[in-house]
This record gives sequence, structure tokens and C-alpha cells, in this order.
Amino acid sequence: MHIQCKKISYSYNQRHQVFNKISFEFHAPGFHALFGESGVGKSTLARIMSGMIKPDNGTIFNQSDVSRIIYTTNQERFPGWQTIQMHYDSVLPKQTKKDWQHIAHLYGVENCLPLKFDQLSLGQKNRVNLIRYLMQDNPILIMDESLANVDESMRETIILHIKKQFPEKLFIYISHHVREICKFCDQIVVLRSMELSPQTIQIKGQNIYNHTIVDPEQLKENMLEIVHAT
Amino acid sequence: MLHNRIVQFFVLYLCGLVFIFLIKFSFGLSDYVIPGIADIALTAKRIGPVYARAVIESIFIAIIGHILSIILACTIGILGRMHSFMGSFIKTSAYQIQAYPVVAIAPIIFILMGDGFLPRLIITSMICYFPLLLTFVGVFTEPVSDIEHFYSVTNSLSWNLEIRIRAYEHQKKILTVIEGSATLAMVGTIVAEFLSAESGIGYQISIALSQSDMSKVLIALFLIGLSISFYLTILSWGLWGKNARKTKKRLSML
Repeated sequence: MHIQCKKISYSYNQRHQVFNKISFEFHAPGFHALFGESGVGKSTLARIMSGMIKPDNGTIFNQSDVSRIIYTTNQERFPGWQTIQMHYDSVLPKQTKKDWQHIAHLYGVENCLPLKFDQLSLGQKNRVNLIRYLMQDNPILIMDESLANVDESMRETIILHIKKQFPEKLFIYISHHVREICKFCDQIVVLRSMELSPQTIQIKGQNIYNHTIVDPEQLKENMLEIVHAT
Repeated sequence: MLHNRIVQFFVLYLCGLVFIFLIKFSFGLSDYVIPGIADIALTAKRIGPVYARAVIESIFIAIIGHILSIILACTIGILGRMHSFMGSFIKTSAYQIQAYPVVAIAPIIFILMGDGFLPRLIITSMICYFPLLLTFVGVFTEPVSDIEHFYSVTNSLSWNLEIRIRAYEHQKKILTVIEGSATLAMVGTIVAEFLSAESGIGYQISIALSQSDMSKVLIALFLIGLSISFYLTILSWGLWGKNARKTKKRLSML
């Protein structure tokens, strides 16, 4: 199983070109990353991959095409009339209740369940939003800055939990934390500006699965590789 | 304690009277053109109860017409948000019909239906429904992407959930236009009564006009303003005050 993007081209309003025949591949299952400088088009590419935007040219091949690729971002909100608990009860299957309660506890948002979305901090909002996506059956999830505003240790806990709990799924994580990406992700696709060729570079990450200490030299080398690529 | 809106009406009405008397005394106009205060007071005593009954009748029609137009605009707004030919047709037709001045359409309504309760109700609804329609169509066709996205990607966004989200997110806009269109409802009723009716305050104004009796017109204006102020006060209490929660709940049940 894999997701393959072949010669994707896209322009905003048919004028400002952002992608010129870019190709890359993510194998599944796995926890991968899409990295790049701000404004380079990471979110646009993620939306193209999830079918929300149609590219001008190119194809996206998704072997698990029975289900769609789901895209989630940190810009989302819950309906204002529901508390988090009410929302989960209404959108998630009953049999997953124990699972999401456990995850809410693990992600430190258990106390947020009786509250409404507007009453939460940015980090809490992102975590409660992520939980409802993790509970879906779709095999591929693109997480666009889904852990923004969450402290580092909690981010690590969440990523390690995702990798352990959903080993059969494919995650594409979009983040600006180079160290975190190098440490936890398997394949890292670095997206570069239009002027550079090739526009995407694939780098192998450390892909760790537990709280083991990573070789700092190796990590540093990996991080430099990414920084040079951008 | 009187509500601000009613106090504001009294101030405004008083300013209007002062302005009229300024004109009267500046240009030396006779009591026949602009009556004196004593004459106005006498007329008020004589025709006050008749006009009060007429205003109550008019405001009753205005309220029913207002409710009808809310239902109508909401229904067209819901249907008009469809991306199909029917949705587009309904939306365009609603705009086209409104392009004609209601005063021009009113004779057709009166010819067909006579001058009873129903034509007045229809004209009232037609006059106050357009701002409501614009708002409802705007609200129901404007996606709330940051909330709808999840439902959309998980294939669980039903049409009524979509309406519920959009109505809830734009409830301030909806409540404001409901409040604003209440005044238009009263205007619509008076226009209908003025054009062709045998009762209501609009009809009384048309008689006062034929008699060139400004005292009667001033009294009618006072009662109209007072009744609208009361209606708006009650409406704003209902929409924004203690019952706001219930209104929100009702909206969320859409």
C-alpha cells in the first residue's frame, strides 16, 4: 500500500504557479512528514492529495482508494452548541467511547470534555480535534499543524501513541518542528519553492517508536540535511 | 421603567412636533394648515379610542405578516441554497419578484382578493420579507468551512445539519434582520391599508388626508410609533433578552 503523486502541477487562479510537475511517494503504513518553509504550498499540496483541490495536471494514486484520504488542520472548530463530549457522542461510533476517553486522558484533555470548544486553549482545541479524526476508519490521515500550540513533551507522547496505536495506518504530518520530524517520521518529503529543482526531496527520518535516546550526531546530521534541502 | 426604545420614540416625536411648530410660527401658517396644540389635544380626545383600535388591528396584521415572511424567507433560503437548477431558479425568482415595487403589485392583489384581511397580510409580508430573504439566502449559502470540514470528509454532513451549523453561526445576523424587518412589516400594513382597505390605521390616515386634517395625522403617527416601539421592545426582549437561550436552542433545532 502506498500513496503516489505523479507530476502534480498547480497554479492559484491559473496564474501563480506553485507546483511544477512534482512527484513523490509515501509508503504505508507509516508516520511520514511533509516539510517546507512557510508559504511554499504544504497545505495546498495536502489538500490536493486529499482531493479537496483538483490539480491542473498530474495524478494521485492511492492504493487504498476505497476510502478517502482525510485531511485535518488546526483551523477547525466544533459546533458551538455542543460540548466536546456531546460532539464525540454524536459523531463517533458508540463502541469507540472507551477508546476516545482513554485517548483524551492520555492527551491531557480529559477535563475539556464537559466544556465547549470556544472555552479551550489553542493547544487543547488542536488535541480534541485530532482525537475525532484518529477515531475514523480511513487508512490515511494528513495532519496539518495538528499539534501546534501543544508543548513538546505532550507532542512526543501523542506522536508515539499514534504510532503505537495505529500501526496499520498512514499518517502525513505537517509541522515546522525539524527536530521532531527527524526523530519520529519515517519518510520526509521536503517541499521547496518553485525556483528550485527538483521541487521535492525525499529524506529518511529516524522513525523512533519509543522514548529511547536518539544518537545526537545522527539526529543533527538528519536535521542539517532537511535544512539544506529547503 | 420605560424601555430605551420607547423613551427614544417620545424624544423623537417631540422633536418632530417642535419642528412642525417652528415651521408654523416661522411662516405664520394658519391653524387650518398646522393646528395648534389645543386643537391636537381635542382631536386626540375625540378620535383617540377609534385610532387606538385601528392601530391594534394594524399591528396585529403586521406581526402575523412578519412571522409569515420569516417562515417564507427561511424556506426560500433553505431551498435556494441547493446547487441544482431548482435552487438557482427559486433564488432568481425571489429576487425578480422583489424587483417590482409592491405598491405596483398591490392593485392586482386587491382586484383579485378584495380589501379584507388577507390582501393586507400578503402585502405586509411582501414588503418586509426581502431583507429577511437576503439574509437567509446569504447565511444558508455561506459555508462555515472550519466546522463543516469534518462532517464533509467523514461523509456525515446532512442538509439539516448544514442548515443548523450555518444558522447557529450566523444567529446574530439573523436576529438583527428579524428585529429590523419588524418596522418594515408595520410599514407594509399601513401601505396596504392606505391603498385599499376599510379599516386599520392606514385607512384612517387616508381619511385624514382627504379631510386635510393634520391633527389626525399627527395622532395616527404618534400611535403608530408607539405601537412599533412596543413591538420592537417585546421582540428584542424575546430575541436578545431572557429568552435568547431558548431562541438559540430553537435555531439549533432547525
